[in-house]
Amino acid sequence: MKTKRYLIPAAALLVAAFGVPAQADTLENLERERALALETLLSPDVSPAEREDRTALSRARLVDLERMVMRDDNLKGKNTPAVRTAFESYDLTFLVHASVERNRSLVDHWLEQVGVTTNSLMSARMGRR
Amino acid sequence: MAKRLLPTGSALVILAALAGPPGAWAATDPGAVTWNPVASERLVKLPGSYLRRAIDNDFAGSSLASEIRDVQGLMSLKAQTLADLQNAVEQSDGDLRVELQHQFLAEKREYLELASKHQDLRRQQMTVKQRLLRRLLGKLDRQEAANTPERAALIEKQEAARSRLEGTISQVDIKIFNNPTVGQSKYSKEYAKNVLAIERLVQAIKAHPMNEGSEIDGRPVTKKEYLRQLMAETEADLQIVDQEATVLGYMAKLIALDALALSDLLSDPTPGDGSDDDDGEETGITAAVDFFVAQ
Repeated sequence: MKTKRYLIPAAALLVAAFGVPAQADTLENLERERALALETLLSPDVSPAEREDRTALSRARLVDLERMVMRDDNLKGKNTPAVRTAFESYDLTFLVHASVERNRSLVDHWLEQVGVTTNSLMSARMGRR
Repeated sequence: MAKRLLPTGSALVILAALAGPPGAWAATDPGAVTWNPVASERLVKLPGSYLRRAIDNDFAGSSLASEIRDVQGLMSLKAQTLADLQNAVEQSDGDLRVELQHQFLAEKREYLELASKHQDLRRQQMTVKQRLLRRLLGKLDRQEAANTPERAALIEKQEAARSRLEGTISQVDIKIFNNPTVGQSKYSKEYAKNVLAIERLVQAIKAHPMNEGSEIDGRPVTKKEYLRQLMAETEADLQIVDQEATVLGYMAKLIALDALALSDLLSDPTPGDGSDDDDGEETGITAAVDFFVAQ
């Protein structure tokens, strides 16, 4: 009886200690990595070969980070502006998965999502602002 | 002889002492024994079947529970004494019979005191339990209220995003990780390994008897419904305790009448029957009704 009395709080403590693992801010990490990837893609100072190498590594990291965000239970129902915005635009947040899904290159997919398409570029007129 | 053993004056004193309601005799000192359960977040999160056990275990460790157990033990000892005395009264006659009848009356009075105390303690237990359940229900209501439409919409979006991403995982793996310069990441490898272990553990948790969902008569119910059911059960227990108080009242009345009969017998020693028949009823303390209805 005495052992039972000590066992129950001990079990509860165990569940409390291991129930919710500590998490880094996965969404913040994803956004940082995505910003760096886009910087590489759009930077005019990087050679095509170097861009290809850097993008390949970035893409692999982004795949992991996108999955980590999606599997992060701490974000479930977390009604903050950052989380709301992230899930409002899936195609921009989960850039690699969305681009593969649509069978486009990363940069093409991103440009399309921000409203820059081949058609929009072709129909653009040069002018003075 | 009877008068020597039990003078009329003392019979009247007994009568006066026995005439009061049982509640007035009870020597319970309120507040001395307590049970102070806390409606914690942990309790709210517990699965239904375990919630009931957790409340029962918490109660079992309280001073109120040990007092109830003690009083219960004393009541069964007293019931045994009453049975012995009843037999002794039936087998005796003359002055000894009167003396034993007097003792029998005194013991019945003490039994009533204990039964009354037992009822007070049980009423205290039920009241505290009901207050606890009400608090838990309130917490559950507040948690549900926190689930705003915006939050619900966000969760819906997250779930849609998750299933969309899950649908493209293998496609992404083929396209990205088939590249010999990249290879599969440590996270992907470890995650795949852990998923298998997690799935096995989840199955074991689902099958674990301590993780049974809330059920009423084998029908799965929500946590709120289960709490309401527990509250209804506690209310029913309280009603039973109140009904038992009525039984105690009748027992007290019978003791008073028996004392009157004994007093009559002492003032007029011709043997009278002095018995009052009254219908005793059911459960718990009703097992002792025979001591009160028989002379």
